[in-house]
Amino acid sequence: MAFSSLHRNRCRQLRNIWAGIACLCGLAPAIASAQTVNLTFRCWDGADNMPAIFSAAKAFEASHPNIHVRVQSVTDSYQEKLLAEVAAGIAPDVVMMDPGNVEKFAIRHSLLSLTQLIAKSHYDIGSFYPNIVAAHTYHGDLYVLPRDIAPISPIYYNKRMFDEAGIPYPDGKWTWDFNERPELREHDFLWVIHQLTKTENGKVVRWGYAPAWQDLLWQQFALSTGGRWADDYMHPMRMKYDDPKVMKAIQFAADLTLKYNWVPSATAIKTVMQTSANLAFAEQKVAMMQSGIWEVPGLRKAIVKGKPGYFDWDIAMPPAYKDGTLHFSTGGSGYGIMASTKHPWEAWLLTSWMAGAPGQLAMAATGLAQPAIRKLSQSVPWIPGPNTPPDQQVPHNRIMMDRSAELVVFGPFGTEWADASDFATRILSRVWDGSAQAADILPAANKEGQERLTYLRNQGIRPKFNWTIGGLVAVGLFVCLLAWIYLPERKIRRTEREKRENRAAYMFIMPWILGVVLFTAGPMLLSLLMSVADWDIIQPAKWRGIENFREAFFVDPRFWISLRVTLAYTIIAVPLGVASSLALALLLNVRVRGIPVWRTCYYLPSVASGVASSLIWKRIFQPDGGLLNAVIYGSHGHGNLFGIATLLKPFAESNGQVNWLNNEHLALPSLTMMSMWGAGGGMIILLAGLQGVPQYYYEAATLDGANPWQRFRNITIPMISPTLFFCVLTGFIGTFQSFTQALLMTDGGPNDATMFFGLHMYKSGFQALRMGYASALGWVLFAVVMIFTVVQLRLSKWVYYEGG
Amino acid sequence: MERATVNERLTRILVLVILALGAVAFMVPFYITVAMSLKSQSELATTSMWSWPHDVTFENYRTVLTNPLVSFSVFLKNTSIITTISTLGTLFGCTVVAYGFARMKFAGKDRLFLVLLSTMMLPGLLTMIPSYVIYAKLHWVNTFYPLTIPSFFGGGAFNIFLLRQFYLGIPKELDEAAVLDGASHWTIFSRVLLPLSGPAIATVGIFSFMGAWRDFMGPLLYLNEPEKQTLELGLRTYQSLHDSQWHLIMASTVLVSIPIIILFFVGQRYFVKGIVMTGLK
Repeated sequence: MAFSSLHRNRCRQLRNIWAGIACLCGLAPAIASAQTVNLTFRCWDGADNMPAIFSAAKAFEASHPNIHVRVQSVTDSYQEKLLAEVAAGIAPDVVMMDPGNVEKFAIRHSLLSLTQLIAKSHYDIGSFYPNIVAAHTYHGDLYVLPRDIAPISPIYYNKRMFDEAGIPYPDGKWTWDFNERPELREHDFLWVIHQLTKTENGKVVRWGYAPAWQDLLWQQFALSTGGRWADDYMHPMRMKYDDPKVMKAIQFAADLTLKYNWVPSATAIKTVMQTSANLAFAEQKVAMMQSGIWEVPGLRKAIVKGKPGYFDWDIAMPPAYKDGTLHFSTGGSGYGIMASTKHPWEAWLLTSWMAGAPGQLAMAATGLAQPAIRKLSQSVPWIPGPNTPPDQQVPHNRIMMDRSAELVVFGPFGTEWADASDFATRILSRVWDGSAQAADILPAANKEGQERLTYLRNQGIRPKFNWTIGGLVAVGLFVCLLAWIYLPERKIRRTEREKRENRAAYMFIMPWILGVVLFTAGPMLLSLLMSVADWDIIQPAKWRGIENFREAFFVDPRFWISLRVTLAYTIIAVPLGVASSLALALLLNVRVRGIPVWRTCYYLPSVASGVASSLIWKRIFQPDGGLLNAVIYGSHGHGNLFGIATLLKPFAESNGQVNWLNNEHLALPSLTMMSMWGAGGGMIILLAGLQGVPQYYYEAATLDGANPWQRFRNITIPMISPTLFFCVLTGFIGTFQSFTQALLMTDGGPNDATMFFGLHMYKSGFQALRMGYASALGWVLFAVVMIFTVVQLRLSKWVYYEGG
Repeated sequence: MERATVNERLTRILVLVILALGAVAFMVPFYITVAMSLKSQSELATTSMWSWPHDVTFENYRTVLTNPLVSFSVFLKNTSIITTISTLGTLFGCTVVAYGFARMKFAGKDRLFLVLLSTMMLPGLLTMIPSYVIYAKLHWVNTFYPLTIPSFFGGGAFNIFLLRQFYLGIPKELDEAAVLDGASHWTIFSRVLLPLSGPAIATVGIFSFMGAWRDFMGPLLYLNEPEKQTLELGLRTYQSLHDSQWHLIMASTVLVSIPIIILFFVGQRYFVKGIVMTGLK
């Protein structure tokens, strides 16, 4: 109560202060631009948080009548869109940022420094948790006003399970050691998760504890025992995954699954927890789950009093190491101002409103985000008071989040770090599946990662890209292309009729030629120029020359890895895909009952694909309780459908079943299998092709005594060879570039087994902001595909064109 | 005669059995989508993903259809406009251009055809930023133009190539007869080839309709304002960084898929043999 009214007063005070500042400092410009100022505000919150954001923005407009705010939410590919807008100079005024991404934009001067605006408006930045302010500060300037801090501390626990096991609820005084200490009972974390893990017939039916994602756990272990995997978390230069404390923490996290079986495996975490951690907790498959505070709204909706499956729950502080040390990683977010804004002052007013008290309170009320202003994080909207509606009181223990905020460790940050660290830690999948010990493989992996980091960090200063020469080269290339097309034709003499046809033909293909000139040629030529540039999309390109290609062929180990993965996938998936499309088309061309329905059934997977299907496929491939394993091994787990289990034996895990997506040998075949469900697209094309085969050919052949195989071989195949050729050629062209499935299903893992060439290119271009290098990769791929295509065109004698 | 019918019947039964088995496998992902969309959030949380809902509820559909922040009707209208225009553009562009490549002789044809294929070979993520900059300079951002106008210029290499292959499979005698009658290429194209390529045009139509209907990256990049956005963008707002509302995602996936399923169901009527073709020889 008291907090609340204090709060309202504070808000009113703030509003008055702002109004005052606007009058004093901004009087002259305010009068000059008495007309409305339009601001664009961009965030990545989804439909669940948008009401809070919209209401905060509405309140802002009400108190600033001359400012109109357009709120835009981009939940997917946020960074791609922002980068495109930055490149075109039309970025929004205020954008959402998090500590992991602010560096990219801040050090490239694409975000406005807030330091002067803060000073000018006497904004009380001291009221924020100091560490989240520090995490958004580069070279002494603050670039993002934090909205929330998200320590990965809360352990969500199921009270009923604690009651059943006769264990007191965690009071935050528990600790952990590398060995279970039964004598400490509920004050030993391992003892608690051991007690809460439930086994039936040797199979775990309930886990004692699960982290929402794998890294969370080992990072907490490492940080709490003093292990650090980089020398400087804001500006890392040295990689230290070979630090004995870090390696021990990683191995311990793996052992909790492999040796003790108290924590679900990394894949189970990836497939179940990561897609919907709160569901696993609500389904009571885990007794305790560690994640960020953002799970709260989802849990409130899923665990409803009076509904079946209801249980009471709360959050608790995670255990400290036995010496009392406790640290964990964290998330957080805030709003920054793009340097391209035309109204920096108004943008600041909006930023300090949305990330300041009014915006933070709106978010706190949803239970979703812990305010970055410490006072608010201790106030009623966040810490439920007696007047809070009962359904919003859980979790009761939100006061622990205030202490958590002081224990977080941000970072390591940096674009180069992310690239190099991603490469070094790819090998961790081997620790998670038990095929290697952390101490055996991490020193070598760390060395590789360090080499990459050093290479990326030491790029030196490069000259500006010379656009005059670049433009001339582009024009020259275009002229060469035209010459290559036209010159061989000069010597051919044409009759008047042929000339007329020539002119008419160009009229027919004119739309395409115009399209190429207007929309296609420019971007393609630009990316060709960028393949010899150092271009981060944000800043003007610099000259890098042949170094991009040298890096690809001789420095970047992922170039060859990803090329091999892509070749292997393409060579298997395309013929298999075309063959199954053809089989389907032949089946669905037979006159049986209900053919339109059958055809629709087979085309459905192509229709309903998208975000939904990646979740479904992850669950199909899930090792425990996944559909595929249930079919092969039966529900009891010992079946052997068609002897497939015997075939899979060499890849099986300790429980005798295979782990499709997390096995280095099976991940790529799994994606190949999944691609078969897209055969409906090729089926339609071939079905259309089959309609062109005259029926009487078959009748004539049957009269001549041809058997079905001969008819298929000598009539069907030649007659549909043009469409078949189309399917093969476009299949190769498309599959060479494909990567979205790998991005959604495996993110290139395990251990780069599904690191497609396209995925490597995407990560280089949009995540590491090395668009120049990505362009070089793209043009190498272009050359490979071109060679493939030309060879296939040369070998296309088997294609029979009736009208050719 | 009698035996042939028995044989044929056996074949049909065999085909039906294979079709049914395969269809079960192919329906699994869609079945799960529908099942999840009909569960309440708490049932979703407490039951297996594979189970059919105990309490079938249309609550998720109601939520999706009435969400004031993600206005389904506006998004449906926008998606329909964009999809209709770009499908028409594609059908116009690629039928014409493919005729040129398939049926006419002109200077540099083979090499131009290779250029056509080559436009498919460079990954789209490399041309994404430059294209965006071009459209931004044209002031086309936040309009439907970038999603519709380019389709009129040939309709994409994929579709041109596809139609060219179909045209090349149509016997040339047909054109020659028309040429003897003094017909122009435009007449041959519109009177002879187009009527014969029903299945091919239906295929291109289905593909380009579905491509535009379910396109995500295009609308994401070019449409900013909620009142201009499309269904696929609306669907993604239920997916957020930490708390994806799968029950709503599944419900909107089903809703967004329905028009394509209907279109496909109807579009297959054109998958019949050209009448002229069977009667020609």
